[in-house]
Amino acid sequence: MLQVLANGLALAAAYALVALGFVLVANAANAVNFAQGDLVMAGGFVAVALSRLWPVPGIVLLPAVLAVMAVLGLALSAIAYFPLRGRPATAIFVSTIAVGLMLENGANAIFGAEPQAGPPLLPGAAIALGPVSLSRQSIAVIVTAAVLILALEFLFARLRFGWRLRATAQDREMAASIGIDVTWMIAFSFALGAALGGAAGLLLANSFFVTPTDGINYMLKAYIAVVIGGWGSIRGAVAGALLIALFEVVYPSLPLLVPALPVSWLFTETTATIILYGVVLAVLLLRPRGLFGEAVLRRA
Amino acid sequence: MRAVIFCAALAALGMATPLAAAEVSIPVLVPITGFLSLEGTSQRNGAMLAIRNAPAGLNVRADVADTGTAPDVAVNALERALGRDAPTAIVASMLGTQVLAMLPIALEHKVPLLTVSGTASVTEKGNPYVFRFFPGDAITKVAHVRYAAEILKAKRLALIAQTTEYGQSGRAAIEAIAAKLGLEIVYEESVDVQLRDLSPVLGKVRAAKPDVLLLHLHAGPTALAIRQAAAMNLDIPIVAGSALHQPTTAALLEPAELRGVCAETNASPVSGGSPEMERFLQQYREQFKSEPDGYALGQYDGVMMALQAAAQGAATPAALTAALSSGTYRGLAMTYKSDGKGNMAHSAIIVCYDGRSRVPTVAKRYDDIDGVLAR
Repeated sequence: MLQVLANGLALAAAYALVALGFVLVANAANAVNFAQGDLVMAGGFVAVALSRLWPVPGIVLLPAVLAVMAVLGLALSAIAYFPLRGRPATAIFVSTIAVGLMLENGANAIFGAEPQAGPPLLPGAAIALGPVSLSRQSIAVIVTAAVLILALEFLFARLRFGWRLRATAQDREMAASIGIDVTWMIAFSFALGAALGGAAGLLLANSFFVTPTDGINYMLKAYIAVVIGGWGSIRGAVAGALLIALFEVVYPSLPLLVPALPVSWLFTETTATIILYGVVLAVLLLRPRGLFGEAVLRRA
Repeated sequence: MRAVIFCAALAALGMATPLAAAEVSIPVLVPITGFLSLEGTSQRNGAMLAIRNAPAGLNVRADVADTGTAPDVAVNALERALGRDAPTAIVASMLGTQVLAMLPIALEHKVPLLTVSGTASVTEKGNPYVFRFFPGDAITKVAHVRYAAEILKAKRLALIAQTTEYGQSGRAAIEAIAAKLGLEIVYEESVDVQLRDLSPVLGKVRAAKPDVLLLHLHAGPTALAIRQAAAMNLDIPIVAGSALHQPTTAALLEPAELRGVCAETNASPVSGGSPEMERFLQQYREQFKSEPDGYALGQYDGVMMALQAAAQGAATPAALTAALSSGTYRGLAMTYKSDGKGNMAHSAIIVCYDGRSRVPTVAKRYDDIDGVLAR
């Protein structure tokens, strides 16, 4: 059962990176980036491609994946955001949908439609903890994602550059008036968001494979995490991702964890999904700012 | 004298002039993008290879169009193909929902559809213009369950199926066949194609203590299930659906993860087995730089049957439909014959992996499961 919990945490960690990337762009640009899911997919394929050129563990490839995806994020901001800045928000989310479709079809054209397996973060057998053995990959995903999230916290809490990013996210006009280059801050937010999405893609590509059509699924996860956790809240995004993983992995496993519970339709993946979306609706109705969010702003 | 020379010259000219080749048009409308694009690409490749090997005396035109995943896209592709020229037959998408949407149009235009869709309902609509060259659930699931019962000696089964039309039609067939054979399904669950972590489902399977686990999933989820089962040391024999036999699915897994895993399918070209199969394998690899699967071979056989019939004079849609409805064709995968509803394939095989390579061996053959060939 420890493995079930480890699997759930690993999935939550990867989903948190996706959601964080989504929140960063939403905060900085006040725009919904519907290509975030496809950026996760792109990150997975970047990892696949790099591992073919350089067959090393995924952890060694991580900096390169982050760098490539950051460049892709800058390109995304140049194509889908800056030219439409000042237009209605719907224009930007439509443009990001278009870019997402371009990424999907591009991946299909380059890599084909079949699932591909990314490199393991740390190859090797399961790690024995007494009578229990835990997947090395699950543990590596949890640790890697935790390090990235902590690095992000450090950036925003301790570094001047991070303060500038936060200032831009909180009030762009005020940030510009005190000399912050808001345009570069927004571009960097896109780069950082894409890098986090790409990292999630690398983390997920070995255990769960990557296909060109994965984007919409990850986009949905990011959106739900942010709705539940709260728009604009980094901690909320992490909490929302944790909740999604709990429903995906732990809820269907409850009859195994609690023997008194019946193994029935009530604890299937399908039921878990229905309940999760019920929670989303409840949050929207009863606490639209989300669990950790600030007062609701106008969002696309 | 001059008249004799003139007639002799005319006769010589007639002998030197070749007979005009019969014109045949077979548009290929298959999913090249979307979640079924892997299988759709196999369909396309099989069809195009058959067209390349068309019998002498045929001039075959084949335009390829992507049907994606939505039924309306397939319908639009079909209507464009029908409007552009007069197709003799259509290679139709293997996605069940798309074929079902194409059926009324095929009926209206009286053009035969050649498909490898495994969805049962495709040939249950009373439409005389659909010809399925892949054994349907009524055939493959018999092999699937019988192998578990007869060879693996299973009495208790677990079943994981997909929530798609494909998954649910297979699930219904497995349940019915298991009941008929007196087997108990001790655990079953249907899962979404996007589900990543199957360990909760596999944990519940283990808790139910089945003798065999049957999988009826698409390619990616099949690989995920087998990988995660190996990681969990599930230690229950697994017999998967036809998705596993695809070389691209097996390529996702380490050979050790495949040890003892079997799968049902119509054919496994990579397993070889005859000079004709080896020749097909070589041609396919040369032309498409990839490994063929059973869908490619089934589509190849289907198109070859149509082309053979056309070469023998059935070069119109009506004549071809009649020929496909009444004829028998010995293909590379099996012998094909219509059961009156358009089901042409009546045999299946079980392939198994030994844990040392990703190329399976044929463990068991089930020929003419429904007795159509014997009639």
